[in-house]
Amino acid sequence: MVAVSPSRDRVGDERGAGTAGVHDAMPPGTGSAGRGQGPSPSPQSLRGLDWFIFFLADVQTGFGPFIAVYLTTQKWTQAQIGLVLSIGGVVGLIGQMPGGAIVDAARSERLVAGLAVATIGFCALSYAAWPIVPVVMTAATLHAAASCVLGPAIAAISLGLVGPLRIGERLGRNARFAALGNGVAAAVMGTVGSLVSSRSVFLVTFILAVPTLLALSTIRESEIDVARAHGSVPREAPEAKDTSVVQLLCTRPLLIFAASVLLLQLANAAMLPIMAGVVTTRSSNWAPALIGACIIVPQAIVALIAPSVGAKAQIWGRRPLLLIGFAALAARGLLFAMVHDPYLIVLVQVFDGITASVFAVMIPLIVADVTFGSGHFNLAQGIVGTATGIGASLSTVLAGFATDKFGSSTAFVGLAAVAMLGFATIALLMPETRQGRY
Amino acid sequence: MLGRDVRSPTNEDMGHIVDVIVDRTGTVRAAVIDFGGFLGVGSRKIVVDWNALHFGGVTDKSDSITLELTKAQVAAAPEYKEDKPIVVLGAAGNLQPLDEH
Repeated sequence: MVAVSPSRDRVGDERGAGTAGVHDAMPPGTGSAGRGQGPSPSPQSLRGLDWFIFFLADVQTGFGPFIAVYLTTQKWTQAQIGLVLSIGGVVGLIGQMPGGAIVDAARSERLVAGLAVATIGFCALSYAAWPIVPVVMTAATLHAAASCVLGPAIAAISLGLVGPLRIGERLGRNARFAALGNGVAAAVMGTVGSLVSSRSVFLVTFILAVPTLLALSTIRESEIDVARAHGSVPREAPEAKDTSVVQLLCTRPLLIFAASVLLLQLANAAMLPIMAGVVTTRSSNWAPALIGACIIVPQAIVALIAPSVGAKAQIWGRRPLLLIGFAALAARGLLFAMVHDPYLIVLVQVFDGITASVFAVMIPLIVADVTFGSGHFNLAQGIVGTATGIGASLSTVLAGFATDKFGSSTAFVGLAAVAMLGFATIALLMPETRQGRY
Repeated sequence: MLGRDVRSPTNEDMGHIVDVIVDRTGTVRAAVIDFGGFLGVGSRKIVVDWNALHFGGVTDKSDSITLELTKAQVAAAPEYKEDKPIVVLGAAGNLQPLDEH
């Protein structure tokens, strides 16, 4: 840690400098050197990013829920479908870190994102056109791999556009448009899937790749600073110690944060699916509508409050918000264990919205904090993404087992206990990562 | 058969067929239907007796299969799991373990 501190101090100074005029010698608007002065991306680029994220939500996650139903209608057996979904899951997990590394190595984040979107579009088209084993297996693999690149790429484009000083605000806006996109995707795909056919959902996804790419093309390449997008700062001489991957892997706040994100997913991922199963058992006629509401309510909350979370992160710091996120998750687990009225369950989902808002902003924000100056922002996102994937997979297995053995109420209390462990991890181990003067 | 929609006699959505269960003689005993949920969240797999299903429109590929049970009966049935003994929901709404003959 001692070896890092001299450069860290300088890094802090650069961030703090803001628009104080330290780098007045540079022509305004270029910002390409990535110095601490606030870059000023054009409104066109910022709106392009808004819409890119909005449409991407439909393209990336829209057809996922329909794969099992669609392949069943194409006479696939449950074992084959299970295999396809597992392949997607495994690739999505092991691809996180290589995906981040690709984005770190890329000279154009926009090109990488565009190729990934085009890949997903063609995967969707292949599902619809040739639902045969080799094609579907390939498409599932490519879809998962492209998703591994897209998550880091969006954060990288954001950081490259607005810089570390205003990234909190920007990530809040990203979360808002992703939530709006997810909500619209659920509504559009749900309607198309039930009124037309599950196959048509894949065609809609392919078509929606077009506006996604158009939105991406309106983000001006010249305004995305590549060095900034990778979380690096220009230096007089390269400092091997500060920028090595090994050092990144030994960054204590990053590892503590990855561990707490694993706990978050371990507590969170199985909660809604188990609750939805309970709702289906208890209220057969209204179950689909209630489950739909349980999915939409958190998205609406994220769309509403995520930008404020981004702003508050700069004023309060990161830790208070992380604690709120975990507290809301623990409260939700306990309420799910106690509340039996299916309509009240929809209200409890407000807590899901709070947790989702906090972490949608905090995950890329804290990774940007702790990797600032390293040039490995996106690889670090891949590390946290891997923790997310492991936590989510374990959650489904462990909570499913607990539900079978001890009933859903006990499972919910167990998930709440994991959330409290996450709370304690943040409270006792996680340092505040906000840097610079504001 | 796989993927075919299942509806109640009053034309309610009862999910779709995802598997069939045969006994050792190869006789079809029951169907596994994927029931309820929204966008794949919260759906449950339920085993229903083959005799509770009616195949009036089976030759028309877009037509559905009728299940002589109510939504409440299907919702309350135990979930089908690969590592557990199979419990079949009968045409009268009764639950019984699948006897292996």
